[in-house]
Amino acid sequence: MFALTELENDALIEIFNIGVGQAAASMSAIVDEPVAMSVPSISFVDRREAARLLDSKDPEAERICGVSQHFEGAFDTQAILMFPEDKSLEIVRLMVGEAVPLKELTEMEQEAMCEIGNIILNSCVGTLANIFHHELHGSLPQYHVGTSDEIMNASGSQPDTVVLMLHIDFVLERHQIRGYVAFVLDVTALHDLKEQINRYIARAMGQE
Amino acid sequence: MPNSPPEHRLRLLQSVLSAISMGAIVLNPGRRIVLWNSWMQQYSGVTAEQALDQPFLAMLPELQGGRVEMAIHQALSNNFPSLLSQTLNKAPFPLYANALAVERQERIQQAIEVTPIAVAGAERHCLIQINDVSIAVGREKLLREQALVLRSQTFADSLTGIANRRHFDVAIDREHRRARRSGQPLSLLMIDIDHFKPYNDHYGHQKGDQCLIRVAAAMAAILKRPCDLMARYGGEEFGIILPDTDLPQAQRVAEALRSAVQELAIPHGRHSNSQHVTVSIGIATLDLDTQHDIEMLIGAADRALYQAKHAGRNRSISCST
Repeated sequence: MFALTELENDALIEIFNIGVGQAAASMSAIVDEPVAMSVPSISFVDRREAARLLDSKDPEAERICGVSQHFEGAFDTQAILMFPEDKSLEIVRLMVGEAVPLKELTEMEQEAMCEIGNIILNSCVGTLANIFHHELHGSLPQYHVGTSDEIMNASGSQPDTVVLMLHIDFVLERHQIRGYVAFVLDVTALHDLKEQINRYIARAMGQE
Repeated sequence: MPNSPPEHRLRLLQSVLSAISMGAIVLNPGRRIVLWNSWMQQYSGVTAEQALDQPFLAMLPELQGGRVEMAIHQALSNNFPSLLSQTLNKAPFPLYANALAVERQERIQQAIEVTPIAVAGAERHCLIQINDVSIAVGREKLLREQALVLRSQTFADSLTGIANRRHFDVAIDREHRRARRSGQPLSLLMIDIDHFKPYNDHYGHQKGDQCLIRVAAAMAAILKRPCDLMARYGGEEFGIILPDTDLPQAQRVAEALRSAVQELAIPHGRHSNSQHVTVSIGIATLDLDTQHDIEMLIGAADRALYQAKHAGRNRSISCST
């Protein structure tokens, strides 16, 4: 499996933590309460492995909610924020403060989830773009619900691609919620990403 | 359209923009308004002449520092689109359906998209689209209200309006677990109206129902904390769950309840030792030092109630678990 050096890995984690930090600040401004987000780890996995990681061990597994955006430019990727369905219900309802929870996210709540995904994905990719000194173009977010495989299919990613998985810890009102951001990358995109990280490291070390 | 002259195409596009039923605003890289469509004119009360070439934030100063400004920055500087949901952003633009809505200050409910626009031969612009989602918001509000009514019906006693037995069973289970986890005491009161069957037989069922309603209301008025739960446990029996309450506190609550019912002074001609309707109360408090389940707590409160009946009624007696 594709791997990064320890240095490259640390650089990416640092970049993503800046990104989710900004996203947390934006979300905190919306709800007027402290919101904390961090990326404790990242990993490169193939798509089958990614699905296994996301789907719960429970065979009665409940569904996953995903918000996806396509980005292209310095590298092309399908970025998907994913939470187990009950966790996404929890996040939206904590953000909205709704007193009468219904069984599924309503149309309006799905849109709110899209906005949350939009904030997180724009921040993550935006930080990458700024640090790489390269612009990326993004699409509007789309909401999906289903198994992780269905979500990755629905968001248009090929089965033979590599997934960069970010584990995201989300702390809101003393609730800690774990989710994932998946960046689906093909071989070219993977190569472009690695090259950009190395340029950044070289710049940071004053070698360019 | 591909073969038509450019000026015709431009006129056509302008007509389309004024016909679409959503707000469209375009900002140039300097964040001045370069497009303000008819929908915006109609619902904002600001004409295109007034809006065009104005700095966006000078026109709408209340949006400064908020999500809309951030989204514009994302579009113009980072080339990223943003979505602003109605749920998380309460109607950022001052848009009103009609004059009455202006008077009431009721804004149109909005779902907003802010997208970067590539313009040939010029720097990137930014399009703000505003959708009126008031109907969908109203529909969901109705859905929630109905869900709330349904839920309260399944958990409320239809006669007295207080919690029913089902609610009690769910609540005692939840509070028991919470008490075990937090180490806080939990008390339970079981309350029975004295000589209720003779009362019913003597005064009739309608009077009996009224008696239940008045007794329930008088006792509910004593319970001040939102976490306390009073439920109709059986016919004329009530159960009260008192979280974070030790035995002496529970005894004080029980006495307050007992005298509240006595002070109602509902005449009772078939009472053994009073002229009025009274209640007997059994008190039990969860002993945290030993393992106890809910059944033992309820059993202890029931035993105490039985003792109170035998000791002459119109009194509260506690029983340790």
